[in-house]
Amino acid sequence: MAEPLIATPAPGRGGALVTVLRSPSLRLVGRRLLLAVPIVLGVSILTFLVLSLIPGNAAQLLLGPEATPAQIAALNHQMGLDQPAVLRYLHWLGGALHGDLGKSLVSQQPVADELGSRLGVSGELVGLAFVFSLGAAIPLALLAARRPNKLIDRISMLVSITGLSVANYVFALLLVLLFAVQLTVFPAMGYVPLSQGAGANLQSMFLPSVAVAFPLFCLYTRFLRGDLVDQLQGEDYIVTARAKGIGPWQVLLRHAFRNSSFGLITVVGLNLGTLIGATVIIEQIFALPGIGQLLLQAINTRDYTVVQDCVVVFAIVAVLANLVTDLLYAVLDPRIRYGNG
Amino acid sequence: MAMVDASTVLRTEEPRRGRTWLRHVELAVPVTLLVLVLGGCFLWPVIGAVPAPVGGNVLDSNLPMFSPGHLLGTDPNGNDVWSRILYGGRNSLIVGVSVNLLGLLVGGTLGAVSAFLGGLTDTIIMRVLDVLIAFPSLVLVLAVAQSLGPSQLNTIFALAFFSVPAFARIARAATLSLRERPFMAAAALCGTKTRRMLFRHIAPNIAPQLITFSMLGMGVTIVIEGALSFLGLGIPAPAPSWGNMISEGQQSLSATPMLVVWPCVALFLTVLAFNLLGETLRSRWSDR
Amino acid sequence: MSVDEVTEPALTGHDGGVGSVPLLEVTDLRVRFSTRGRRVQAVNGLSYRLEAGRMLAIIGESGSGKSVSSRALMGLLPGTARISGSARFQGQELLGLSEREMRRHRGADIAMVFQDPSRSLNPTMRIGTQITEAVRAHAGLTRKAAYDRAVELLHLVRLPAAERRFHEYPHQLSGGMRQRVMIAIALAANPKLLIADEATTALDVTTQAQIMELLLELQQRLDTAIIMISHDLGLAASYAHDVIVMYAGRAVEYASAKRLFGHVRMPYTQALLGAIPRLDRPPHADLPVTPGQPPDLTDLPPGCPFAPRCFRAGQECREQEPPFTEHEAGHWWSCWHPCEDTVGAVQAVDTVEAGTGGRHRRTGVAPHGATEGPRA
Repeated sequence: MAEPLIATPAPGRGGALVTVLRSPSLRLVGRRLLLAVPIVLGVSILTFLVLSLIPGNAAQLLLGPEATPAQIAALNHQMGLDQPAVLRYLHWLGGALHGDLGKSLVSQQPVADELGSRLGVSGELVGLAFVFSLGAAIPLALLAARRPNKLIDRISMLVSITGLSVANYVFALLLVLLFAVQLTVFPAMGYVPLSQGAGANLQSMFLPSVAVAFPLFCLYTRFLRGDLVDQLQGEDYIVTARAKGIGPWQVLLRHAFRNSSFGLITVVGLNLGTLIGATVIIEQIFALPGIGQLLLQAINTRDYTVVQDCVVVFAIVAVLANLVTDLLYAVLDPRIRYGNG
Repeated sequence: MAMVDASTVLRTEEPRRGRTWLRHVELAVPVTLLVLVLGGCFLWPVIGAVPAPVGGNVLDSNLPMFSPGHLLGTDPNGNDVWSRILYGGRNSLIVGVSVNLLGLLVGGTLGAVSAFLGGLTDTIIMRVLDVLIAFPSLVLVLAVAQSLGPSQLNTIFALAFFSVPAFARIARAATLSLRERPFMAAAALCGTKTRRMLFRHIAPNIAPQLITFSMLGMGVTIVIEGALSFLGLGIPAPAPSWGNMISEGQQSLSATPMLVVWPCVALFLTVLAFNLLGETLRSRWSDR
Repeated sequence: MSVDEVTEPALTGHDGGVGSVPLLEVTDLRVRFSTRGRRVQAVNGLSYRLEAGRMLAIIGESGSGKSVSSRALMGLLPGTARISGSARFQGQELLGLSEREMRRHRGADIAMVFQDPSRSLNPTMRIGTQITEAVRAHAGLTRKAAYDRAVELLHLVRLPAAERRFHEYPHQLSGGMRQRVMIAIALAANPKLLIADEATTALDVTTQAQIMELLLELQQRLDTAIIMISHDLGLAASYAHDVIVMYAGRAVEYASAKRLFGHVRMPYTQALLGAIPRLDRPPHADLPVTPGQPPDLTDLPPGCPFAPRCFRAGQECREQEPPFTEHEAGHWWSCWHPCEDTVGAVQAVDTVEAGTGGRHRRTGVAPHGATEGPRA
């Protein structure tokens, strides 16, 4: 029987790494990495442009309203603010590529030091939020999809849809009201570093992480439940799976969820910007010493250098996170990994 | 009457009781809510007797609920809370509508034209959009808002900065998929001019998606405006906005929690109404 | 033969079965769906029996209820379905079983091969895993044993380079190969009945023939009964022992293939046969196509459902539904004005066989219990 053979690279039983290295997805990764560079550059230029259009002046703010024009001009010169924008940008870029992010205009301390420790705090916030949101959404969506339109499904959908209409800062304040003011289980604000004990650290980070996680949890639950149910009702391979005589949980997990996970990765990726941006307002509410708080302070004191650096860091993190999401997708989805030649 | 044969029933949903009833409810609830909210914020202060939202007497500060003349009491400055909620809603809604209208018109047009023209123009515009969308927008919105100074107009501008690319992306994707359809090829073969193609053929077909997106976008915009005002970078005090009301209330959270709760509730109900309406429209219109 | 009232068709073994308990006995199967406030009577009284090792072809247009009836047997219909009647597998009633009980039958007793292998296989799972899943669903085998069995199955369905293909994904295989994999999955737990639901419809003609040959070979080797669901009369004529023709959810004619094609009775079957292109027709002659459309299943008119389109329809056809009875030995039909044996009917048989290249059933090992040899 002469079956037409398709010319595909034989995956064999070699590990995933070997396959990836030989596959079109590596080219995809390479391309995305290359694309990421101009995007990050573009973002830094955009930021610099916007910030240089700021009316109002750091020097003036620092010296106060009684300063004479001459004093302002002198401080301007000292801080290098009287140079043309392009020069300032290139100066900054040059420094940044060496890891020197300049000095804060206000405190004269190197920005890089401050950023380092604050990155840890914001990172923990984002990480915990990520874990909470997915950790709650996946089981709930699975349970809901197992028995559509029954009790658990209806409740979880109701919660998700209403939850999506709640702003994260509103939720944060309501959490504080309930758990910190009425029931004093968690602190209303303040950060306890890990060095002072994991328990205390988690206690101080719990409410903020939940506040960030909640809207995302609603989004993921809603999406995943919808996707799972769509598959269970509409896809032929689900019928094949059932026809084999395997149990419903196996059908749900091994078939439906496996396919839904790709969509979920995409949804998570699309909302990473929200996740990262949420740190700004949540850190403000809970007085956490993270990058978001730093950014706000810098904006209020018109500390250009710090603002520039913070915004670029945010942008780089967002771009990298999107890149990782795409990569994950490319590596895990066999249709992309073993694409037809 | 559509022909129903056995093959169509093999892919049916689980039965839902009272489906027709639900369909009416899922439209009626958000519309009613919206009518109440819009009516309350724009009409009530005009026809009802509501005290001014600013310039209150400090001696009247922190009056409890149901005090004479103050339905929800007063805030630490002596301003009537109910009045501030209504006027604050007005301010927030104006921002929301303006931003989304701008996004819809400017972004929608930009995206549709870009996709329609294709080629290098499209690629460039796409890259620029990618850069803007790759950004955690709240961050840059803050910077932009601060750079311009807190005011309602500047808030609209700052938010539109990110609304336009979002609409552009949706319009672009919708137009791209439309371009492949046979009726577009047919129109092109008839020699239809570009402008007519855009207005007569593309616009009506991408409109439902854009309108749905703008409903959901209203919710998002109002929330972000609230965040800006919360951080002092949006609508400036003493003018009311739900965001700055929440921020002020936060300072006395344990003593007077209701000062935070009322604007939160107002915010929640408004966003909920827009979200429900957007979802209902989306499910209705995608059945076509 | 008198055709008085509707009687429960008393099915007797016909043309060659060894009698005894049939593998599958379906009696007055009815399936109703309530969808969007409307009721669809998808299957309206279907009865047949199938012996072990024989092939039954269920022929009908799309929407005739052929797929629905088979999925009802396996309990694979959506929750909106209301099923009544009886379907006994080896004497055990299948309809009304709980989901858990049904699962024990699926795969192990009855298996199904679906129409579109590109959609019926999970795109993100290796085909080997999809087979071992079916193997291990009914037998607690180790991974190694399951692997061996899967490779054995792939060899059985004549998939080249089986060991390599085991690790591949569906999109790396061609349509014909995917269908072979589907057959392998279906056979994994040694079912006694295989239902091929339009299994070759989505394939090109050459591949179609190969798959049919494979099914035939498997039937003879494993003594599996096969229900072949199709709209293709040619396939039925070439491969099936018995044929049921369905229209609008009802069986309208049922006989052995030889009998049916030699002595067509139901005008609908006649029309189907007539519509097959023939080489001996003058070039560019119009195909005799039956005008009209199949009826809307939510709004069935009284009487015979085919009456509006039937060239032999009389007044009583529009008023009263003809009963489905065994009018001649081993030949059931449901019609007030059946066709007579004419030259046309004999020609039809030649057409069918000529159209399919005159393929005959292989002799080989005669299936257990069959007394029929190869058809001339």
